[in-house]
Amino acid sequence: MTLNPIVGDRTSGGRPLFAIITALCLMIMYAPTLYLLLASLNPDEQLGLVAPTRYSLTWYVALLDDHRMFRALEESAVVALATAALATPIGLAAALAYRAMTRMRSIFLLVTLSTVLVPGTIEGLGLSAVLRLVRVSPSWVTVTLGHLLWTLPFATMVSLIGLLAVRPSTIAAARDLGAGPMRAFVDVTLPLIRGSLVSSFVFAFLLSLNEYARAYYLVGRQNTLPLYMFGAMNSGASPTIYAFSGTVLVASFAAVTLIFFRAARRQSGPPGVSVAISKRTEKSN
Amino acid sequence: MPEALADRRRRAAFFLALPSLVVFIGIGFVPLALVAIWSLWSFDPDTYWIKSVWSLASYAALLKSGRADVLLQTAGLAALTATASTLLAVPAATVIGLLSGRRRATLLLALFTIPFFTSGLVRAFAWRLVLGREGIINNVLMSLGVVDTPVEWLLFSDFAVVLGMVAAHLPLAIIPIVLAFARIDSSVIRASQDLGAGFWTMFSSIVLPLIMPGVLAGFLFVFVVAIGTSMEIQLLGGAGASSIAIMINDVMRVVNFPLAFAIATVVTILLLVVIIVADRALELSRLFEDRGA
Repeated sequence: MTLNPIVGDRTSGGRPLFAIITALCLMIMYAPTLYLLLASLNPDEQLGLVAPTRYSLTWYVALLDDHRMFRALEESAVVALATAALATPIGLAAALAYRAMTRMRSIFLLVTLSTVLVPGTIEGLGLSAVLRLVRVSPSWVTVTLGHLLWTLPFATMVSLIGLLAVRPSTIAAARDLGAGPMRAFVDVTLPLIRGSLVSSFVFAFLLSLNEYARAYYLVGRQNTLPLYMFGAMNSGASPTIYAFSGTVLVASFAAVTLIFFRAARRQSGPPGVSVAISKRTEKSN
Repeated sequence: MPEALADRRRRAAFFLALPSLVVFIGIGFVPLALVAIWSLWSFDPDTYWIKSVWSLASYAALLKSGRADVLLQTAGLAALTATASTLLAVPAATVIGLLSGRRRATLLLALFTIPFFTSGLVRAFAWRLVLGREGIINNVLMSLGVVDTPVEWLLFSDFAVVLGMVAAHLPLAIIPIVLAFARIDSSVIRASQDLGAGFWTMFSSIVLPLIMPGVLAGFLFVFVVAIGTSMEIQLLGGAGASSIAIMINDVMRVVNFPLAFAIATVVTILLLVVIIVADRALELSRLFEDRGA
């Protein structure tokens, strides 16, 4: 095991205890979904109840005939793409604004963060009431508005952390060499934060794709994916819901994992928090 | 010319902040403010909407038929979830921030963050397979002969709800602590070890006080997010289990707008007070500041 040199050998049981708790945390986060994946491969009708003995893709094939599911998927994909396309540039602008601010910084950050903390049900309810007042009928556009509010703080944070990779001195050097602010942004800042912009887009896309509470109040006639799935889960209907849950899980895991590891390999910034880690270790080395 | 420069910088900051402010204020705060005002209007039976007749009727209704109890119940479950998440998050964040090598730390942090971006609905649903009467836990317990009949309280219970919420919200508790670790100067820890401190002395007298703002921030994040939860309760809670969000949905099903608005207003104001007080007390924003790069 690679041990951090800053903690010596005399851990008197602390290290194993902490390692066990960490393993427990990972277990409660991952074990149920892994079991669901396993169960979804069981071709029997009662697939979820006992550990499967036979494996097949029966329910995944059956999924292809579920037209209502595909319509929900289409609706969700449109909303998620529109949300991510809006949240990424607006979040980047907000992050740049934060860096340029001298006063009001902490208030701006508090505003950004506090919107995440308001319950989705309440935000959805409020927004739907206002839209009703101005006679905007619910559709994918109204869901997108709700999801923009939900994802923008995350997009801003990812850009903010990505911008940590851009040293003010680098920009100053570009400016000294005669580049205007726009030119410096396009030629220096943008290439340095390209990775975090991709992260920002993917995170916003996935957060929107999986959002339920706001969409509940804002959807039009066509349900989004989580709403459709919630109905299927509670009606105890066809086992295809397991296959579908499995697909959603694998797809989201693959997307996020890809982003994380690309970022970790480049060590240049995104997905953000890893910067905090690398900074710390740099300091301690 | 430094003044002109500062002026231009301020103007640039303003224009860059503008789009996000439009979103936060226009889509976020304005509806909440209108909801607060409309909660003081009356229900209009003719239009199934509201009319501008001032009334405190919905706030009176809030105190009736067990609605205040649901508020307290939700707060209780959220506090339990936040406590359990924090107790798990402190050791986990310590392993990430202190005990493992850099590569392993990055990997662990990624593992803890990834599920946050996957479907919460599916993750809550998956617990049904694990905790049910014929789920894997009961299967194992019965085949080992620990119990003769399936353990009933595993699923459709507060236990299942708290477990599902802890699993879902754990990253929110871990990440602020990891950010707090990043601010610790490692020489302080080395010094304590040079002076002969063992792991527990070092942890309790050096590390814990330094990460405390992160610990409290994590507790707060989980608590606040758990207050708004509905999914885990609807999928894993017992019959009749409710929460603030479910209550709002139920009230809206009979289109009682003013009552739904009143519940929403009370909850939002309470949450805002908690957040602002905590921000003042803990200087939460410092957790996200760039570290003098």
